[in-house]
Amino acid sequence: MAHPRRGGIGRYYDVNGWLFVAPALGLIAIFMVYPILWSLWMSFQSGRGMMMKFAGFANIVRLGNDPIFIKALTNTMTYFVVQVPIMILLALILASLLNNPRLIGRGLFRTAIFLPCVTSLVAYSVLFKGMFAPDGIVNSTLQAIGVIASPIPWLTNPFWAKTLVIIAITWRWTGYNMIFYLAALQNIDKSIYEVARIDGVPAWARFTHITIPLLKPVILFTTVISTIGTLQLFDEVYNLTEGKGGPSNATLTLSLYIYNLTFRYMPSFGYAATVSYVIVVLVALLASLQFFLARERDR
Amino acid sequence: MDKLVRTHLPRIAGLAVAGASLLAVSAAQAKEITIWCWDPNFNVAIMKEAGARYTKAHPDVTFNVVDFAKADVEQKLQTGLASGTADALPDIVLIEDYGAQKYLQSFPGAFAPLSGTVDYSGFAPYKVEVMTLDGQVYGMPFDSGVTGLYYRKDYLEQAGFKPEDMQNITWDRFIEIGQEVEAKTGKKMMGLDPNDAGLVRIMTQSAGQWYFDKEGKPNITGNAALKAALETVGKIMSANIYKPANGWSDWVGTFTSGDVATVVTGVWITGTVKAQPDQAGKWGVAPIPALSVEGATHASNLGGSSWYVLESSEEKAEAIDFLNEIYGKDIDFYQTILQDRGAVGTLLAARGGAAYEEADAFFGGEKVWQNFSDWLAKVPSVNYGIFTNEADLAVTAQLPALSQGTPVDEVLQAIDAEIAGQIQ
Repeated sequence: MAHPRRGGIGRYYDVNGWLFVAPALGLIAIFMVYPILWSLWMSFQSGRGMMMKFAGFANIVRLGNDPIFIKALTNTMTYFVVQVPIMILLALILASLLNNPRLIGRGLFRTAIFLPCVTSLVAYSVLFKGMFAPDGIVNSTLQAIGVIASPIPWLTNPFWAKTLVIIAITWRWTGYNMIFYLAALQNIDKSIYEVARIDGVPAWARFTHITIPLLKPVILFTTVISTIGTLQLFDEVYNLTEGKGGPSNATLTLSLYIYNLTFRYMPSFGYAATVSYVIVVLVALLASLQFFLARERDR
Repeated sequence: MDKLVRTHLPRIAGLAVAGASLLAVSAAQAKEITIWCWDPNFNVAIMKEAGARYTKAHPDVTFNVVDFAKADVEQKLQTGLASGTADALPDIVLIEDYGAQKYLQSFPGAFAPLSGTVDYSGFAPYKVEVMTLDGQVYGMPFDSGVTGLYYRKDYLEQAGFKPEDMQNITWDRFIEIGQEVEAKTGKKMMGLDPNDAGLVRIMTQSAGQWYFDKEGKPNITGNAALKAALETVGKIMSANIYKPANGWSDWVGTFTSGDVATVVTGVWITGTVKAQPDQAGKWGVAPIPALSVEGATHASNLGGSSWYVLESSEEKAEAIDFLNEIYGKDIDFYQTILQDRGAVGTLLAARGGAAYEEADAFFGGEKVWQNFSDWLAKVPSVNYGIFTNEADLAVTAQLPALSQGTPVDEVLQAIDAEIAGQIQ
């Protein structure tokens, strides 16, 4: 029964092989390639609702003259610059703390920190909205312990609203990143730490000089994932601000703006497609920048 | 046994086929009309009442009234229309007047024209204008959003004010009263959601202006009414006579819980106000305060909506007939929904009905409906244009700056710039 083994280029002409992958390829073509190409074509059209016509680069010009787009872009980048480093560092610290075999109740802590990222996006946003209401539990606790004199306007002040979104996404996603670090930490040879300890290297130096360098590929991975996630940020803002990105557009993200352009305002599908390609370009740029910074240098 | 089956098999099969086709025939005759709308205390309940009336005369037509949040209705409708597949869409949908032209213009052919079927001369002309495009009239006019100032008589009395003191006042006087009320009772004058520009819209229209001029061009920086409205909202905010609310249900909570002394909004809120039986007799209704600009009136409009039939609907003929029979002709129906839900319809003939003459015990025996009906006739007519959503967001974006004392001219310029970027 044995067929003569065909190597090299011959494999590409094997009809059976192609037949096996054909259904998957077909689905990918219909549900991924086609929409991507179609949205690219759409981004060169403009018009109201279904009355679209070819407009060349008009949408790209419009981007520059659109204060709300600039605002959404600035907000998104603010979230990215502030939130991602905080979250990555927090996840790293938590992971190394929870990796300590002498810690009692490790499993409980790990579960507790991981749980937020399996809760429903809508449920947790609604919960946050209640907790951070003017007379919610957060304000009343802070007032009770004397940290603040009057309630913080979490949802009605532009600065605090942005802070609240950052708190919310940090709460939700830190545990997710921590799990990657925990898994990677288990793979580091314990003898390295033992040697360091015998040599009298303090805990903080062990963390910065052993843990972080050895986790570099995983850190790169989580940073790229978090970058993509932050640039696509939508649910939290939508649910915390009833879809408006308020107050004063202070929490508006690019994704929410795309949504508004498509489903809330006079529908402007072409322009919305252009804004979504801004996200594509940004993700591509930022991810390659991160790969570039984390590359293995020849010594 | 075997033989029995074999000899009877054709007959059994025949019976089965006959039964199945009978079922199919009756299924084809029973029509179900699906309707999307958004307020369980108001238009959902009213549509159920309308459906029940129609089913009584046409037992073969039943109704499926689906209750979503308003934003969800709008967004589901827009998604469905954009996708080009009709399966996901209802037969009848409720659209707020501000958004009507947006849908009509950006999805041509999506809605069934009703001119020729419905006698539009019987309706308030401003309402028909909103749903007219290129000489064709779409949709069935429904409720008016004529505004009023609902106030708690008991709180105001504690602060030393009589119902006469609330009649035909200015917004400045309203703020003074608000400060008195808070000093004497500890209650805030009103609930205010800084992410909702409804109050600005009410004030602007009460002086005969809108975000757009009659041609639909933005009218922001030179708009005296809008300027006065923003100044007034700024004063309300800096005088701190309001209870902040985050979102609609929070805002409704400010008055259902008894925390505020007044509510300035459309007549459609009556059902929600009356949903608190323990507050019966404590409420009164006055005309809204006026701005201090030229053309200022005590009458305005907030929202108001109409029913539209989808062109793609399989039950299009029944849906149109239903709307025409009930909303287009049934005067008695309008009396019922007025008394039960506070719906001021825009069918002019309905206003001669007995319900409009009646005193309402909830409002201490005042003839509130007669008042709303009088104010409705005085609402200045404006062109809502097609970008009210965009303008609204531009206005709310500037409200925090306004409350922090940014000069109103700078605020107007920022609004103008934001709208210019959105209108393409």
